[in-house]
Amino acid sequence: MKGGMNNVVLLVGIPFLIYEVLAILMGAMPGWVLSQTPPAPGVVPLTAQQARGRETYVAEGCSYCHTQQVRPLKQDLVFGRPSIAGDYAYATPELLGSERNGPDLSNIGSRQPSEVWQYIHLYEPRSLVSSSIMPAYPWFFRVKKHADPGDVVVAVPPGYAPSGRVVIATQEAQALVAYLESLKQVPLKGAVKQ
Amino acid sequence: MTVAQPTAPTVRGDAELFAAFTISATFWLLLATAVGVLLSFKFPYPDLATSPYLSFGRLRAIHTNGTFYGFASVALTGVGMYVTARSSGIALWGKSYAWAALWCYNIAAILGTITLDLGINNGDQEYREWVWWVTIFFVVAVVLSAIAIIGTIATRAERYIYISNWYIVGAYAFTTILAVTAAIPFYQHGLGQVAVQGFYMHNAVGMWFTFLALGAIYYALPKLLNRPIYSYALGVLGFWTNLVFYPIIGAHHFEFTPIPWWFQTLAIVFSVGMLVPVFAGTGNFVLTISGRWERVRRSVALPFIVVGIAYYFLGSAQGTVEALRSLQTIWHLTSYTVGHSHATMYGFITFIAWGCIYGLLPKATGKEPNPLATGLHFWLATIGVTIYVVALSIGGTIQGLNWAQGDPFIASVESAAPYWMARSIGGTMMFVSHLLFAYNVYLMTLARRNPNLDASGSVRA
Repeated sequence: MKGGMNNVVLLVGIPFLIYEVLAILMGAMPGWVLSQTPPAPGVVPLTAQQARGRETYVAEGCSYCHTQQVRPLKQDLVFGRPSIAGDYAYATPELLGSERNGPDLSNIGSRQPSEVWQYIHLYEPRSLVSSSIMPAYPWFFRVKKHADPGDVVVAVPPGYAPSGRVVIATQEAQALVAYLESLKQVPLKGAVKQ
Repeated sequence: MTVAQPTAPTVRGDAELFAAFTISATFWLLLATAVGVLLSFKFPYPDLATSPYLSFGRLRAIHTNGTFYGFASVALTGVGMYVTARSSGIALWGKSYAWAALWCYNIAAILGTITLDLGINNGDQEYREWVWWVTIFFVVAVVLSAIAIIGTIATRAERYIYISNWYIVGAYAFTTILAVTAAIPFYQHGLGQVAVQGFYMHNAVGMWFTFLALGAIYYALPKLLNRPIYSYALGVLGFWTNLVFYPIIGAHHFEFTPIPWWFQTLAIVFSVGMLVPVFAGTGNFVLTISGRWERVRRSVALPFIVVGIAYYFLGSAQGTVEALRSLQTIWHLTSYTVGHSHATMYGFITFIAWGCIYGLLPKATGKEPNPLATGLHFWLATIGVTIYVVALSIGGTIQGLNWAQGDPFIASVESAAPYWMARSIGGTMMFVSHLLFAYNVYLMTLARRNPNLDASGSVRA
């Protein structure tokens, strides 16, 4: 105690250098190596619309309740096959998540292929799943008297629909649903079928 | 010993700085935990406050970043600067840097809160959701704080650098590196970003808040007990083992992902290794208190520090156990993790901040908190966080078991519901305790001094 660590330069400098080395070894290097992971066969970049939908997914913090990581565990197989490194080649920012207040969405495009279902669910989740705790996203929709040509009309179940009016999906909602529908795990060669 | 007696005006400056940091931190505590209470009530009432600006996905990051960077960072920096100055035997060096730091912490927190509420964020990168031009203000604040603290140690009147200052200086050095490492984008694509995120999120807690809080305890505990720390050597052991083990364990947040299996295993091994600094720290603190429990009972501040030490031990030991693969299969991705993060960031970090503020701020300003409000603050916060952690530990375990036995997903939502409600009750008690704390902060800083206590006259009236 009476030695070097009473020199303020050493007190700051030695731990600083040790931590710098550890930050490179445990943070930057693994990041760099794993950033080089090539896409798995069949994993393709998103279209422009899907990418806009992903931006909405990020902005609204969907990943705080929905993971995109299927673990190699029995209880996760309901969500798809175990995720592999090549699944994430185009997934920046990464959206693996840390909590499942809702189900995993790695493969939701295959598990729930209905766009109609997704629109209704985003407008009011409890109209489809009564004990759902997902927030409703009415700001992705416009409520109008009449649908115009080209409008995507959402068939909200009675009791949840505004009476005498129609619910229209905005461009933002269409992009988000396009992104959700794009979440389809590519099949692995030689993998056992579930 | 060549302790320079600081003149009254410079010490007054230290007190004003400490008071300003505490007031600022208290504002963010109230805001961020009001948001937390609202978030918790969205579990039982999902249609509550349906608006983009009050939606769960946006507010969650406002709650976590607000408590981390608006509240805890600022509260512990205020304490840390005061501790450094007192243990160096001089007034704080470079106060203009310290004031500038306070401004930068607040600019970062204000801009961060506004941008997150507008949906402008870095993606789900927990505790680094603020975009880079917001984070810059935070990094500048950390560097400015470091300048004031290192300058104070360099010009100290004491011969030795006290162990508290090892931890406090370390926190600023490490966090500067950490923030820069987390901000550089070129090694953060896809799974690479996952690896950096694991490193970042655990180090933001471990190399920043843990170091600041331990440094504060090493000063406040002996000071308030009026006896030296039990073992200086254990403090040194804790310092080096924290420094070397902590950076290796981040990958335990991403077990069972495609991150290399051996890398996850390494993180688990060192998570067990973390028991060394945790035992060293806790043992040292408990042995320092040992035999002086009567003094704890009569103190306003010490009970907070004792609860903080207890949650430091429990939360850290829990973290080690959670890292084991067999238990991760059940607990990971459930509400159990949220309970753990409140055991540590609240039970440990926040209680230590409060204990140090109650113990040291009245000495600085010459103004005392209200004893009844302090007692209510203590019990509401202690019982509240315990309800919170216990409820989510049970609820999270049930969620995990639901999944393991292959129930439909919604069954886990339904079975966790009563425990989420209990969490809201605990959380509301915690929030009410913060109102009492805010009242006490007012009494310790801005309020007129009680004329009966006005004896020394060396500090601002």
